[in-house]
Amino acid sequence: MNMRRVNRIDELAQNLPPPRDLWPAIAAAIEAEKSARAQGAQRRPRWLPAAGMAAAIALVAVGVLIGRSFAPVQRSEIAATQQPATNVIPAALRDANYRKQRDVLLIEVQHKLNEMPAVERTKVAASLATLRRSIGEIEAALGRDPANALLQELLVNSCQEEMRALTAVRDSGNQEI
Amino acid sequence: MADGATARMTQNDTVVDFDVALIDRARRGDSRAFERLYRDHVGRVHGLCLRMTRNPDLAADCAQDAFIKAWKALPKFEARSSFSTWLHRIAVNTVLEKRRGPSNAEISVEDPSDYEEPVMSFDSPVEEEELEAAIQSLPQGARDALVLCGVYGYEHSEAASMLGIAVGTCKAQLHRARGLLKDRLERGVR
Repeated sequence: MNMRRVNRIDELAQNLPPPRDLWPAIAAAIEAEKSARAQGAQRRPRWLPAAGMAAAIALVAVGVLIGRSFAPVQRSEIAATQQPATNVIPAALRDANYRKQRDVLLIEVQHKLNEMPAVERTKVAASLATLRRSIGEIEAALGRDPANALLQELLVNSCQEEMRALTAVRDSGNQEI
Repeated sequence: MADGATARMTQNDTVVDFDVALIDRARRGDSRAFERLYRDHVGRVHGLCLRMTRNPDLAADCAQDAFIKAWKALPKFEARSSFSTWLHRIAVNTVLEKRRGPSNAEISVEDPSDYEEPVMSFDSPVEEEELEAAIQSLPQGARDALVLCGVYGYEHSEAASMLGIAVGTCKAQLHRARGLLKDRLERGVR
């Protein structure tokens, strides 16, 4: 029988331990939650983001191809001279800094591709190749029609898209580690 | 304590919080650190649940669920409030969820400022057991306010927030609890 007397209500004991240890049940729930979380992480393919990225890059490539097909080709007198494509590449794309950044990025992307499972690697590489081929075709078209402003803009945009895609590939999977 | 950073200065959690290192470890998935937090806090959490539910089995269930919820919610815990207060908030929520029927019905308040003082003292000493029985006999709303403000020392604003009621309602419920305790204990309650 508890005969302790109090003068104030806040003198009542705040600590009233439970009649049984609750920890075993809590620990079991924690372990179950941990393993469910681990299983969830395992079930999600590590390269799922890469697959999504391949699809995104493919979409960009298709977009570039569509854009190129819609760009009006204004054959001028100068185009008839068939200048080499390198001479008509917009100044922004001939910038040494841009070239250097792109070269570094290509090396990093190659490393990333080597780490990917074969299936994902093939998809991403194919998408990047499509993008690159589209850029090559725009450059070739510009070689035939160097004064075509729309083609020049399309080329710059496509190269920017390529840089974004390469950066996305390089950074893929980093958040999961 | 095993971890120097977790030593407790006083029993009043408003002075603390040296649980920080344990919380940090628990957040990173260290269940042993969380067990240490459980051992430190379970008595107060269970006491709160027991006084609010008046049912030993339900109180143990609520305390257990509160700790499981706390583990899951640890990443969201911000040190703006003490860990103990945060834990009590979860425990009160758990009790409220498990209760059936209406709770903490609003009661009219003429002037809530009349009931500011949450500390309650008696004209003459009261046996703990008699006082606990009188608290248990109180209506739910009055009991909740009395337990949080009177026994556990929360401000009206904190208790009202935990219970999901207006501050004025909390004050009125405490005033009501004071009157009922006075009748049941047959002595002056200030």
